[in-house]
Amino acid sequence: MCGIIGCVNRGERTLETLVDGLERLEYRGYDSSGVSLLGEELSVTKTAGKIADLRAALEERPLDGRLGVGHTRWSTHGPPTDENAHPHLDCSGEVAVVHNGIIENYQGLRDELAGDGHTFTSDTDTEVVPHLIERALGRGASPEAAFRDAIAQLEGSYAIAAVVGDEEAIFAARSDSPLVIGVGKECAEGDREYFLASDVPAFREYTGKVIYLDDGEFARLESELAVTDSDGQPVEKTVNTVEWDAEETGKSGYDHFMLKEIHEQPRALRQCLSGRADELAGTVELEEVDDVSPSSVHFVAMGTSYHAALYGVHLFQQAGVPAQAFHASEYATVTPPIGDALVIGITQSGETADTVSALREARSRGARTLAVTNTVGSTADRECDETLLIQSGPEIGVAASKTFTGQLAALNLLTLATVESGRTRRDVVPELRELPGRVQSILDDSNAEEIADVYHDSRSFFFIGRSYQYPVALEGALKLKEISYEHAEGFSAGDLKHGPLALVDDDTPVFAMVTGDDEIARKTVGNIKEVEARDAPVVAVTDGQSNAELYADHVLRIPEAIPRAAAVLTNVQLQLVAYHVADNLGRSIDKPRNLAKSVTVE
Amino acid sequence: MNVRTAVVLAAGEGTRLRPLTENRPKPMLSAGNRPILEHVLDALVDAGIERVVLVVGYRRTRVQEHFGPDYRDVPIEYVIQDKQLGSGHALLEARDATTGPLVVVNGDRVIDSGSVEEVIERFESGEDEPVMAVIEREDAHRYGGVRLAGGEITRLVEKPDPGAFRLINAGIYAFGDAIFDEIAATSRESGELALTDTIGRLMEEGRVAGVKIEGVWVDATYPWDLLEVTSEVLATGRVSEPPREDGVWVAESAAVHADATLRPPVAIGADCVVGPGSVIGPEVAVGESTTIGANVTLEGSVVDPDSRLDHGSTIVDAVFGQDVHLKADATIPGGPADVRVDQEVFEDQRLGAVLADRVGVGGGVTFQPGSLVGSGARIGDGAVVRGHVASGAEVVR
Repeated sequence: MCGIIGCVNRGERTLETLVDGLERLEYRGYDSSGVSLLGEELSVTKTAGKIADLRAALEERPLDGRLGVGHTRWSTHGPPTDENAHPHLDCSGEVAVVHNGIIENYQGLRDELAGDGHTFTSDTDTEVVPHLIERALGRGASPEAAFRDAIAQLEGSYAIAAVVGDEEAIFAARSDSPLVIGVGKECAEGDREYFLASDVPAFREYTGKVIYLDDGEFARLESELAVTDSDGQPVEKTVNTVEWDAEETGKSGYDHFMLKEIHEQPRALRQCLSGRADELAGTVELEEVDDVSPSSVHFVAMGTSYHAALYGVHLFQQAGVPAQAFHASEYATVTPPIGDALVIGITQSGETADTVSALREARSRGARTLAVTNTVGSTADRECDETLLIQSGPEIGVAASKTFTGQLAALNLLTLATVESGRTRRDVVPELRELPGRVQSILDDSNAEEIADVYHDSRSFFFIGRSYQYPVALEGALKLKEISYEHAEGFSAGDLKHGPLALVDDDTPVFAMVTGDDEIARKTVGNIKEVEARDAPVVAVTDGQSNAELYADHVLRIPEAIPRAAAVLTNVQLQLVAYHVADNLGRSIDKPRNLAKSVTVE
Repeated sequence: MNVRTAVVLAAGEGTRLRPLTENRPKPMLSAGNRPILEHVLDALVDAGIERVVLVVGYRRTRVQEHFGPDYRDVPIEYVIQDKQLGSGHALLEARDATTGPLVVVNGDRVIDSGSVEEVIERFESGEDEPVMAVIEREDAHRYGGVRLAGGEITRLVEKPDPGAFRLINAGIYAFGDAIFDEIAATSRESGELALTDTIGRLMEEGRVAGVKIEGVWVDATYPWDLLEVTSEVLATGRVSEPPREDGVWVAESAAVHADATLRPPVAIGADCVVGPGSVIGPEVAVGESTTIGANVTLEGSVVDPDSRLDHGSTIVDAVFGQDVHLKADATIPGGPADVRVDQEVFEDQRLGAVLADRVGVGGGVTFQPGSLVGSGARIGDGAVVRGHVASGAEVVR
């Protein structure tokens, strides 16, 4: 998704700060970028393509200035071109604007401004903003009043930063799109460095002190920072301290962030469980959900998080609590009767527009809401009644890996703390504590790379599983699709013969998750025989307890574990398969085409 | 010119420490709940090094995952040595990652910052000549024997006869960037390029300075040496867990039952559980997320992360890899023992047993002193284990 960066009082390092910041926002996915600096006059450079292209353009024609804004764009209105890249200017070239989100009433505004003689040079919705500011300035408004006037006319979602005329300040406002201010160190003559970004890593190198801007608030960054509400009244903001390192965005010797993040899973699991799962007492302590005891549950989520939601449904249902999972986009559109259900939104970034919107819909109908997220201070965190943090640490790869694992672990903690029996807690807590070591054993010994070597040029890939392994089958297929661009589908093992079996032939490997040696395993082994009889190569992902290996061409081994924990383990093997298939095919693993890390438009 | 950069050689496995190195290189073995390499980086950072280049190879993801992109705010750059063709080759791989003079250290021995500082000072006071730290050791025959005369290294002999040398090459060097050309100009011995071959050549030209160091210098050659290494680390307080009382370090997230006893020196890692009636220590380090049941006696031992020691076991002088599982009532009575490694017998070593990563042990198993169990081996209920058990093997009563 798009990214914003801005800084003031950085002196000669202004340009460098902006471009480095844009690089740190790369992980959000983008297709063009640009910067604007205010020096003797306002100057802009922007290009379609990679940040490297922007750097090249800046080398030819360096910009200088004492403050500025920058942007990475992920196209929504108009194709990725130099013209459509941000910052956008007004007719006079004295107002520069960067924007994330969507301005829904831009067409009407644009027609009106064009009627007044304003000339537009791009296809974007954003470009109306600098022209609105220009018009207000022309009517005699001060830069700040002009900015406020423009913002007041916008409908939709936005985080906006602007440089107006020769006023030595950055103006910013937000509505439904994240924007955070970094409070830097004091520089000469009592001035302070301030940063502005859509996400903390963009400026984390310089400061860990942050202020989260809320919807409807305005910020003015100059020698001091002023945050005001829509009426211009000052707002007291708390300064938060962020503990994440910007350096964590470095790949530290791995070829890809995704591989790094796959290897970080033992650590991520430890962080999720630490101080929560108490084996000595046989309890699970989650202060966040102290008084939560739902009689029924609605999960809302998208993509990988939706698969975690399906897993969560199973956990609640096993505990006798009715639960359903919904795609958040559908839930927001066709909201079912909620009754007294607890509505749980799962979103890694906490900014997923579909999920945030579904949670708002639920709240507006009086439902209690819980966010399961990786991001403190995110919209979902701030807007829900309760938040359960998965504590996975920052994830840069667009395809989720460790955060899915963290979501599964957190959901286990949630049901253990709220609806499961003491007996179950005593049985399950030790198994959760075993997970980091078991995941490490897979990372140490996995043969996924060899299997990827054998099958990477297959026509299609299918994944089947039952019970807790069904969401894993869906996630395994999604991961492979996302990063390898190959066709992959996940099915509940039982559904295979009701249609999908027609797709199966000797060029469609079937990955079958079979753990334990119970009725569920025996049924899945039966499904393996069905595909084996159609000449499909079979890869069994198994703990070796059943006889699944007899019918498999290859085996991905996992340690023995109870069924709900085994799902975490089989998924790690499938992550590695997806990674190595994509690597074999030379794909852009950390930034797959057409995808963004955090989808902040509906 | 000031030395700001350090190259740390951490690419080799350390084969004499097998089976403990089957899943991680020697620098990542534990010394007081922290990898040996972490102690090395502490020494470098404390000595004022501002940039670390880590040469990694064998099982390198373990190093990368542990340290990530920086350590104590000092940035780390990883350089990959795909084939382990000697220490000279390893250093040469780091050529493009460095500028100016550099400190070079082996990543698999616990050293202190004073030694690094002395080497740096000597280098900075000279004319770009190479500097090597030397230290006195009784077991000089295991290392490179060195003669030091008038501040210059005059002899360097790899694995000399026992008793022939008293000083050894401590594996801490400072070089000007000319060292890379010197290494490149050194001929390979059976495909390998040892850093000491290059230094030997420079020495013959009378150009290698020596600094005798007297600080902490602890090495593990064989698995049981890790017990000594841990004792040394605990004795010098190089532990990251906060002290609870004198010689007792317990992570805040660890849960120790009120009826358990911790006997100093002892370190209990993050998220550990210690059950009622257990007696842990002295000379014990328990790695993170380890679960110890009720009435376990654990003494003079190293336990790596994620292990699980069930009720009633007695464990003395043991080295456990990661994720070792012991069912109730295991007995490891402890050394001394004669231990056989390949064709060599080491007499009277303090060793109860070595259990490598992910060994699974049934109930009531007894280990005779000096047992070595390979990673992933399964030991059935009631078995008596002696000598070697191969990795992945299954032992039934």
